[in-house]
Amino acid sequence: MLSQGHLHEIHAGLQDWAAALGFVLGGFGAKAGLPLVLVRSPRGIAKHLRLHGEGLLALGIDPARLLIVEAGDEQDMLRAGLDAARSSKLAGVVLESWGKLSAYDLTASRRLVLAGERSGVGVAVLRGDAPPRPSAARCRWGLRALPSSPQPAKSLGMPAIEVELQRQRGGAAGMSWRMEWDKEHGIFRPTTDSAEYDSAPPSGAVVPFPAFRAG
Amino acid sequence: MTARRHLALWFPFLPSERVKPLGETNPFALVERQANALRLSALCPLAARNGLAVGMPLANARARFPQLITAPHDRQADHQELARLATRMMRFTPLVTLDPPDGLLLDITGCAHLWGGEEAMVDAVASDAAVLDAGYSLRGALADHAAAARALVRYGRGQRDVRALPLAALELDSDATRGLERAGLKNIGDLATRPMAAIAARFGQGAVVALRRLLGEEAAPTAPLRNMAPLRFERSFAEPVALQATIAACFRDLLLQAAQVLEQRALGGRAFRLILHRSDGLRQHLDITTSQPTRDPAPVLRLFDERIAALADPLDPGFGYDRITLLVPATQPLSARQSDLTGEGEEDHALADLVDRLSTRLGAERIYRLAPRDSHIPERSQRRLPALHHSTPKPWPAPDREEVPLRPLLLFDPPQPVTAMASVPDGPPLRFRWQGQLHEVVLAEGPERIAPEWWRLPQGHLTDHGGLTRDYYRVENAEGNRFWLFRHGLYQERHNPAWYLHGIFA
Repeated sequence: MLSQGHLHEIHAGLQDWAAALGFVLGGFGAKAGLPLVLVRSPRGIAKHLRLHGEGLLALGIDPARLLIVEAGDEQDMLRAGLDAARSSKLAGVVLESWGKLSAYDLTASRRLVLAGERSGVGVAVLRGDAPPRPSAARCRWGLRALPSSPQPAKSLGMPAIEVELQRQRGGAAGMSWRMEWDKEHGIFRPTTDSAEYDSAPPSGAVVPFPAFRAG
Repeated sequence: MTARRHLALWFPFLPSERVKPLGETNPFALVERQANALRLSALCPLAARNGLAVGMPLANARARFPQLITAPHDRQADHQELARLATRMMRFTPLVTLDPPDGLLLDITGCAHLWGGEEAMVDAVASDAAVLDAGYSLRGALADHAAAARALVRYGRGQRDVRALPLAALELDSDATRGLERAGLKNIGDLATRPMAAIAARFGQGAVVALRRLLGEEAAPTAPLRNMAPLRFERSFAEPVALQATIAACFRDLLLQAAQVLEQRALGGRAFRLILHRSDGLRQHLDITTSQPTRDPAPVLRLFDERIAALADPLDPGFGYDRITLLVPATQPLSARQSDLTGEGEEDHALADLVDRLSTRLGAERIYRLAPRDSHIPERSQRRLPALHHSTPKPWPAPDREEVPLRPLLLFDPPQPVTAMASVPDGPPLRFRWQGQLHEVVLAEGPERIAPEWWRLPQGHLTDHGGLTRDYYRVENAEGNRFWLFRHGLYQERHNPAWYLHGIFA
């Protein structure tokens, strides 16, 4: 579960975009009942992507809880995201962005961090097709899909992903986890039988945050 | 006490004339299901002249007039139409009373001279645009009190005296009316000469009360519609003002005034309109809408700030504004609220505030929730509901018991064409190329066949016109990415069906 009140950055490609959205919505969605805000500002081919209610339902996320904001450009998206992050009583705010996102600099990310800290709302910036750049985010995650665990009769297993903690402010980084979707709770959970990812902590995906903040 | 004058209006064919198309020459009737039989419940004048009657079974009426046109009777719509006519009649007098199902009572005391006398006023009412355009038959009668006017218009044949009306005007039950007629009484005047005690003993107190009301000896109070002053607040200046601080302060004053009036009426505004009258005659309109009724000036002010910031070209005061008007065009009931001790319930408020602000800045249709829609076609199975207008989310059905998701999280709109290769024509794809990249399919599930909605297409019921069937496959490539592919058309429907990528799974 992604920690509340902090800014997370998730990098993923177009093919892994749905997995990244599922990771974030599931990570924030555990506080059931509260609304989630998704601010979208897609570009290029991602412009044709639409959220599918039945797909959300199939993942165990109630689509009625999701408030979608179609922001026109990056500035609008950051402003709308900031407004949403300032209002309390939300499960989380997700900003969906594509490309360079030049408006998202240290100042803009710092604003999001402060707004999230004050209201206790988790904020995530999904960055598609973009090189990492310095920001005030607490964590930066890289995400890609993994082949699902083999099932009888060559059928599809539960969705699986590999999540890498690329950078953590004031903490260790470089770990990666193999996670599988847990439909009952509507969240990606680390699988225990992944020997090659032995750096994973024994329980939960909560990143052990140190008590102090650097910077 | 000054004498009062009442005008009773009767629309004898209101239900049928409301529905009947203008210029229709065949008999027309409305039907209603009563005790498992369709019976006529309202007639047009032509049908009534031809001997049809209310209560007659539809089958009998059809046997007599095969060309009879019918429609279902909607009594609620009748009442709404009557209410609309009543509001319209408020231009003649402020005291208008509904007399359901098809009448209105107008208290025209002191109003007739404005229209050039009572007769001229009746003519003006009859030729009012609302009545004329809809083609309603209308009868009117004047009397000194409402009950008499009502009886005259419904039971009179041009009489001006209540005493000449038939006994049916008392609107007693049919046994009592027949009993009175058997006693040799012909009209109200006859009855009025009899001792009241005898009537009360034979037909009950109700008959006496009805008679005394007709004669004006007992008051028959009416409950006129309340005529609310429009919510319009205005401030005029002796000199044009251009200073932003002055304008803002004035606007705040107007909002406070509006809040007071709204509080008295237990209403909250859903829409606010600010009109700035510039000294050179130009008028600038600013509109905001809120998702929940409000009368608190602070959030409304903030929304107007957003609105002004979102303007393409900024407000130009020129030489100043000489008048500022605030209108509240849409309201909803809002009772006074006391905040909860635990602070719960505030979350709705915070979310509504966010929705209002974003909707004002970006446009209402861009802040939305997904709602289910009854269709099997994936892209038609949902719709967007603007959060501003639908503040409570629509519930979704319970998720299916299937472990692995059958529907993708993201859909492509429109579906992306891909080139795919299958081992057998009807089988799942072995590999496909999308955006220049080749994906080897490792695992595939399907097909899930979704038939087209042939009933939406013209001639769709004919073979080969109903649209193309889609065969959906859930596939996983070597990297573990999951796609939702479909083949558009079966091989018997189409020679060389195309493949599309319709969605991405988590």
